[in-house]
Amino acid sequence: MSRFVREEYIVDGVKTVLYTAGKGEPLVFFHGAGTMDGFDFAETWTERFRVIAPYHPGWGESGDDASFTDLHDYVMHYLELFDVLGLDAFNLVGLSLGGYLAAKFASEHGHRVKKLALIAPAGVVDPDHPMLDIIAVPAEQVPPLLVSDFEILKKRLPEKATIDFTAARYRESTTLARLLWEHPADPKFMRYLHRIKIPTLIVWGDEDKIIPVQQTQLWRKLIPKAEIMVFRGAGHLVHLEKPEALEAVAKFLS
Amino acid sequence: MSGALRFNVMHFMPYVYLPENHKEFKSTWVSFPNKYYDPEKGHELYQRYFEQLILADRLGFDAIVLNEHHNTVYSMMATPNVIAAALIPQTEKARICVWGVPPNFMLPNRLAEEYAILDVMSKGRLEVAFPLGTGMEYWSNPVNPATARDRFRESLKIILQAWKEDGPTTHYGQFYTYRFLNPWPRPYQKPYPPCYIVGTGSPETIELAAELGFGYSSVFVTQQRALELNETLRERAAHYGHTLRPEQLPLLTFVYVAETQEQAEKEYVIHLQRFFEDYARSTPQWLAPPGYISVEQLKIRSAGADRMHGGFDFKAIRTSFFIAVGTAENVANQIGEWAAKMKTNHMNNVMHVADMPHWKAVKNLTLFAEEVIPRLRPRATTVSKGDHR
Repeated sequence: MSRFVREEYIVDGVKTVLYTAGKGEPLVFFHGAGTMDGFDFAETWTERFRVIAPYHPGWGESGDDASFTDLHDYVMHYLELFDVLGLDAFNLVGLSLGGYLAAKFASEHGHRVKKLALIAPAGVVDPDHPMLDIIAVPAEQVPPLLVSDFEILKKRLPEKATIDFTAARYRESTTLARLLWEHPADPKFMRYLHRIKIPTLIVWGDEDKIIPVQQTQLWRKLIPKAEIMVFRGAGHLVHLEKPEALEAVAKFLS
Repeated sequence: MSGALRFNVMHFMPYVYLPENHKEFKSTWVSFPNKYYDPEKGHELYQRYFEQLILADRLGFDAIVLNEHHNTVYSMMATPNVIAAALIPQTEKARICVWGVPPNFMLPNRLAEEYAILDVMSKGRLEVAFPLGTGMEYWSNPVNPATARDRFRESLKIILQAWKEDGPTTHYGQFYTYRFLNPWPRPYQKPYPPCYIVGTGSPETIELAAELGFGYSSVFVTQQRALELNETLRERAAHYGHTLRPEQLPLLTFVYVAETQEQAEKEYVIHLQRFFEDYARSTPQWLAPPGYISVEQLKIRSAGADRMHGGFDFKAIRTSFFIAVGTAENVANQIGEWAAKMKTNHMNNVMHVADMPHWKAVKNLTLFAEEVIPRLRPRATTVSKGDHR
């Protein structure tokens, strides 16, 4: 995370840490349900954008707030953070759970978002191509499911899970459980996606073992004007496996 | 109850016909395929276990203890109140202890009602314990482990309100809304049956037991830890103005009696080994679903070897837990020592484990009742002179 600068804010009582670098139009990145892959992949974006990558409450270096039990709490948290940062309008990129959050944010507050890019977003309910319920998968089996080529992720993980690494994952899974243990999906989410009128790009890996690439068909119906790009030979973390995917996002947002 | 030692028989009612390939499964809980359950064999087992528990009543044991587990061979009591209801008319004196139904898996008014029914049916023989439920149960029931402790507290509040206060009352909480909390029937015992919290010593549950003045039964913790927990509980209960009586600290023991020390070990150890290795076999993930314990607790538990779920070394286990195996005299001495050390007069004895055959369970119960209890009862009156209800 060479160029990134760490900033810390208290947002409505919650410690919120973000990493930022670069110049240009702001690009906010919402990470997914695990933060072990870090933000360094986003460095390529800093040549053209002022990248702002916050840790959601309950993840990474940000603090906990057990009262966050609904994705909407995160929408409200980010409205507050963006006010603190003086960010009026910005590009929004979200990965997986962060894609779900970004789409929800954009459907509710579209005037704040210039362009939206969703990378293998969660959130839609597709009975024919359901998302893997990752909470039920034994922890040690999760990393290989995230990518097509495990070598790419392996170098970002500790050789042996230390107690601190295990505890960090447990903490993030606790945050996730608060959000969606009882209701992994919100059926109303899809109902309001049509309110997204801004230019939208959806990026997917065709070997995604977490959220099947076939869900792009449903997204196409829900946001008809969205541009969809599928990258061959990539898994769920398509942004780590295919530099072209990062480039496609940057180009779309430019 | 006088200061005499009290002897419970706790039963898990395990399903003992494990398939030959069961070692291929990391756990016999949660996802262990239920195609391996044969109801014909299940029926035979219920018959056998009921015989054992009814015998315990005839032999003069003070109480029969049941509990609840799901999705596992470890226990066939997914709903222990059903078992309790069947036992009540077949037993005469033994207290019926449902230790217990995790309140999180039932509507609180309904649990208050079921317990009241059992108490009235048995004319006040019921005792209840409130477990949070093991981590495994949260994988098997549709309840969020991350909010389990808050829900648990609220459930207890509702149940106690239902029992203590004349209805209808109301409750407006985080998890439940009652516009008319007014359950019929109400408990036979006033204001309600003896209550315990049962757990593995999480600080949160200890504090709750202390606050409510409930008993606390620590299960599957080491001897040293159990001692510390009892001390902590006495201190914390005193903080809330409650004086814990010795019988409020039941001690979980594994007991087997035979003619000689050698005979006892020969007959028993293999079943205890299977209990730990096969029936209690679980995984770290099943034991700690997300949010079930705090991150700090997870670190402590990850750092310590888990001696309960899956490994077995008889010598180590024997000195870590409360396991008395041997002649009547040895077992009686051992239990006497523990009672004094733990300042309790309440022995909660597991007398059937894993695939122990019926004859061994019957022998164990009989020898214990006829040769161990008489050795301990006279001594016990000097062990405790606490105030008693």
